[in-house]
Amino acid sequence: MVQWWFSLFEYGSGKTFLRRMLPRIVKAVVIGLLYFVLLYVVPMFLVSQASEFAPELFSGYGQVVTMFAAVVIFFVVASQLTAGTIFQHAFNIGKALILIIFFVVALDGGIIKLDLNIVEGLPISITADLRVYLMMLIAIDLVGLAKSLLQALNFLSERAEKDLPQLQPAE
Amino acid sequence: MKQAIKALSWATSIFWIILLLFTVTAVYSAFQIRPGFGDPSVSTSGDTLIVSLPFGLYNGGFYDISRFNITTVVSDSHGSKISSSSTFVATISKGENTSIIHNMSLNIGQMATSDLSFLLFNDSELNVTAILMLTYANAFPFEITANISMPWGAPLANMAIGNISITPFNSTHVRALVPLSFENHSYLEMSGTARLEVVDSAGNVVGEGATMFYAPSENRFETNVGVLLSASSAIIREVRLYFQTPFLTYGPVVVLIV
Repeated sequence: MVQWWFSLFEYGSGKTFLRRMLPRIVKAVVIGLLYFVLLYVVPMFLVSQASEFAPELFSGYGQVVTMFAAVVIFFVVASQLTAGTIFQHAFNIGKALILIIFFVVALDGGIIKLDLNIVEGLPISITADLRVYLMMLIAIDLVGLAKSLLQALNFLSERAEKDLPQLQPAE
Repeated sequence: MKQAIKALSWATSIFWIILLLFTVTAVYSAFQIRPGFGDPSVSTSGDTLIVSLPFGLYNGGFYDISRFNITTVVSDSHGSKISSSSTFVATISKGENTSIIHNMSLNIGQMATSDLSFLLFNDSELNVTAILMLTYANAFPFEITANISMPWGAPLANMAIGNISITPFNSTHVRALVPLSFENHSYLEMSGTARLEVVDSAGNVVGEGATMFYAPSENRFETNVGVLLSASSAIIREVRLYFQTPFLTYGPVVVLIV
């Protein structure tokens, strides 16, 4: 177990390990806070404002925003903490894959149906076909996934190159 | 590989920014659409009752509204379709104020010839299903469906034949006075001719009469129709009524005489 953990950040003493980790932790906290504000605080404010305007239409989106922010912040923080290791890329790939599933689930496969009863005795059903929008989201996410895969490949190849024995000039 | 990674990083960032901007502007624009509704009016054209629903739509957003289509389907309380009307507007451009009049047509003449003739005599509730379809920003098709219940007033409500009184006319005939009444609960002005046939217990038509009638909306009409019958006529079994108006020809309505 200890072997595995240290293989993340290369071998070294506990003091060296902490010295190496501290900047990453600080960076992860700062980026996590930034993402928290951008992906949770601001959207939740907008959703609450919109909910006041049309509560039956927007009140359900608070949960979606919370879930989205939680997923992204977890992966961003994890990626920052494991920066410089293969796990950073693994988290980025995981984030891209989970976001694709999240988008499909959150948008009900692209067809959103809402049954409203704003006026008594006048049931209204709204169906929004967001399949084009969902395809845009998935396409961008797939580009991000391709980038993460290439980064992982690049990381592994650089690592392999580094581990090769250095050629010494013949005497 | 590094160049490819860099290019993908830039592409991802740019695409996310574009999508974010598109989302924000699309949501903002959707809230800038201002619908306005006018007073519905009812008119008649031939044998058709037309309910006009005027409304306006101001597209104050950044994107066009295309394939705007309103369909109303009127059905009776049993779900039988009475009429279906559509209004289509190809494009409502951004910044444009469009006035639309959706006409819902009810063909009364057709109603009389179909299984819906009970609506001529009975008040009822009609179900109106309004379906609004549009494509916003050329990317998001929307469909809004609303179900409304609309009262239907029968044009020949509570139609009845009263007690027939028979008085001698001459040595060969008697004169029957047939009291006919109905209430016009509809928006239509009912005027025309009512013809009636008196049928005896053997099933023979033994006398005929006719009367003009005029019953404005929400008014009752009643009259006595004089019919000459043969003095040898047997017991009257039924009266058959035939109505003829500019928008409706219907008959026979068989009223049994007890």
